[in-house]
Amino acid sequence: MTQIFKYRAPVARAELLGLLADHEAVRVMAGGTDLLVDIRNGFRHPEMVVNLKHVEGYADISWIPFEGLVIGAAVTINDILRSARVRESYPLLVACARDLASYQIRNRATVVGNVVNASPCSDMAPALLCLGARAVIASRRGERVVPFSEFFQGVKRTVLESDEVLERIIVPSETADVRGGYRKLKRIKGHDLGIVGVAVVKKDGLLRLGISSCAPTPVLVDGLSESDSAETVVAAARDAVAPISDLRCSGEYRAYMVEVFTRRLLQEVP
Amino acid sequence: MRVSVTVNDRVYERDVVEHRSLLDFLRDDLGLTGTKEGCGAGECGACTVFLNGQTVNSCMVLAVEADGGSVETIEGEARDGQLSELQSAFVRHHAVQCGYCTGGMIMSIRELLRNNPKPSVAEIKDGIEGNFCRCTGYQQIIEAVLDASGQLTAATKGELKHV
Repeated sequence: MTQIFKYRAPVARAELLGLLADHEAVRVMAGGTDLLVDIRNGFRHPEMVVNLKHVEGYADISWIPFEGLVIGAAVTINDILRSARVRESYPLLVACARDLASYQIRNRATVVGNVVNASPCSDMAPALLCLGARAVIASRRGERVVPFSEFFQGVKRTVLESDEVLERIIVPSETADVRGGYRKLKRIKGHDLGIVGVAVVKKDGLLRLGISSCAPTPVLVDGLSESDSAETVVAAARDAVAPISDLRCSGEYRAYMVEVFTRRLLQEVP
Repeated sequence: MRVSVTVNDRVYERDVVEHRSLLDFLRDDLGLTGTKEGCGAGECGACTVFLNGQTVNSCMVLAVEADGGSVETIEGEARDGQLSELQSAFVRHHAVQCGYCTGGMIMSIRELLRNNPKPSVAEIKDGIEGNFCRCTGYQQIIEAVLDASGQLTAATKGELKHV
């Protein structure tokens, strides 16, 4: 790294929250796979980097009866893929996780980091949006819970204040074992950023879509029903996105592929 | 910050600035230059090493994060001057051209073979998805992995022509 910064790796939660409250220009680091590249490229200039991987309990995947799956801030993408219970109950999370970057990065990158980074092409966001997941956000001022449908505020912007940390994600038990599917368009079969990502969930007659890479933030399309015609669902998807053209593909192609993937998923997901 | 890191079973104690990457620490502070810097952004995998038993892109890890931990690099692959079976297979199958990707490639394949001693061609491709070879030597690399895992027969060798 060419930039100089201080480094802390607290074990106690109180110390982490204190560092965030007491210092300006501090960045929390989970896996570091986005942050360290951003620092290297000069996009971010933190005076202090606070590694949260050693904070007690943050590396845990746990289950709260009648509430759901709890993913701590330091849980890596490969932790999710290796969890037999996640594979069994939340195959949609697994489908999104499997397509995220490369094996080495999945050993390091975290689920929480992937959403806090708030890239429009976040790989985990489509599943988390569809599954009705919530972010538990903590600071020295207290704790608050924000559904992911309200979490993203713009490109690389979220509701997180500078003294706050996303401590854990709760994926509600109501969406365990739902029927779902995911499609991600990439330029190559291997490791690549998503060009378009679409997830679908069907449950108790309701239908939800989560779409990435097609608007300033990942998008949730809610309020649809399983009995809606494919045309209605595709039109809702198209209306919800505003894709731009960039070096990876044109906006027109993105809009077209949102339709293709939505149609395909409606057929694939029983 | 003073760090103590075990690299290839040897303990190193060094002072390191907080913003130094594990890659720069290995290459410039310890002189272990088998680990390469390609892209510096987690795309190419040339800097792949094991940190506490898991493969990572060492360009995206801070050296201070390895404090108290263990690192394995390509320098630990050969033992007592003898190439490992995997390295020998790379030589036999001409899986090295310029050699820049080879260290990271071997690390990723080592990880793959630890979890899956007899990977299929598809599984080998998945295992090296984070490692780029720009001399287009993937077919030879895949052959070398099949050979090192005892799966290369005359028949599979024929099939591999169009991998």
